[in-house]
Amino acid sequence: MNAPFYKFNYFNSDISLVVAFLIGIGFGFALEKGGFGSARILAAQFYLSNMRVLKVMFSAIVTAMLGVYFLGVIGWLDLKLIYMTETYILPQALGGLILGVGFVIGGYCPGTSVVSFSTGSIDGLMYILGAFFGIFVFGEIYPLISNFYNSTNLGVITLPEVLHLPYGMVVFLVVIMALGAFLLAELSERKFAFRNPENEK
Amino acid sequence: MNLLRKLNRKQKLALIAFLLGLIALFAGSPYDSNSVKINVKEIALSTIKDSDKIKPEILADWIIQGKSDFVLIDLRTPDEYEKYSLPEAENIPLVNLTDAELYKNQKLILLSSDNVQSAQGWFLLKSKGFKNVYILDGGIVGWKANVLFPKQKPNMSKEELALFEKKKAVTFYFGGKVLNDSGISESNSEFNLPVQSSKQNKTSSAVNQKKKKREGC
Repeated sequence: MNAPFYKFNYFNSDISLVVAFLIGIGFGFALEKGGFGSARILAAQFYLSNMRVLKVMFSAIVTAMLGVYFLGVIGWLDLKLIYMTETYILPQALGGLILGVGFVIGGYCPGTSVVSFSTGSIDGLMYILGAFFGIFVFGEIYPLISNFYNSTNLGVITLPEVLHLPYGMVVFLVVIMALGAFLLAELSERKFAFRNPENEK
Repeated sequence: MNLLRKLNRKQKLALIAFLLGLIALFAGSPYDSNSVKINVKEIALSTIKDSDKIKPEILADWIIQGKSDFVLIDLRTPDEYEKYSLPEAENIPLVNLTDAELYKNQKLILLSSDNVQSAQGWFLLKSKGFKNVYILDGGIVGWKANVLFPKQKPNMSKEELALFEKKKAVTFYFGGKVLNDSGISESNSEFNLPVQSSKQNKTSSAVNQKKKKREGC
């Protein structure tokens, strides 16, 4: 785990672990405060009665996107320095699907399960053990699936390149998409309010 | 104004996001393109200072020590590069320099046959906003004169001789030869440039190294 600016050698790897630890604590605290330590609230996302996950994620995406875009335009940020992972379209789609199914069944994603366990919840612990078991299985069968794992590599691609649209246009479209999603989320929360665990009692 | 006051905080934030998105439609691309805005006066006033030049001896020391905090760029043609270049140097001809995948946080050292092309490359990169650009003083000519084929002056003092002995070790490391005053090498052979092994795969490896590293969440 590398802390921000680690690769510029401002501090050594020991300090970077401390920095990462502090940032992690802050992140976990924010997740818990936001209700992301509760499996019921997280699972309610999939029953369309509590769209908190979608709202938080999309807010984060839009905020970060606008920030990075405008800092890039005024020349304060060199976008070429931002690391981007390569796209392996099929394995990533399958991996996402597996993670999503696990999310619905377990009520957590890997990060929030740790947050939940830190507040003493047993199901959080079970989820973590399950995740480690999954990692172990993946490691054991890796030789069998490595061909698939490395297949359909599209390299580092971005939406403006794939859609052949100007960068600013994509920014605008994502903002519109997010605002539309927020609107739908509010509607669906109202419609399925009776299923929302927060409304009980 | 009245309308604005009626909005709750969420709606105001949504409005701000919408407006910023709208501006983005017309604000252009955040990536650097080929045309750059430069402050002509600033570039004209900025001259290559001595601190932007790196002496061949110092670069030789860095290479021997295995320092890797810089990228050495050979601006000459591929033919010249194939014939001889410095170890670790990668070939990016001057015309391709601004398209090459270089990072602004890298320390770049430019070299060409002498200082002229390096200086052109230096101005190009500086005007594109690269901060850490240096040139190898004297280019390949300077490298040959100072590192590969240093001349031994007659009647050197003791200190000078001691220094020269050190220089000789560096010369041998890079496969060069020491010349005496008349310009004839000690072993009487020709000015053969050292043959370089493992030149293959060296091109752009220094640049790509960074990419291979996996980062992420």
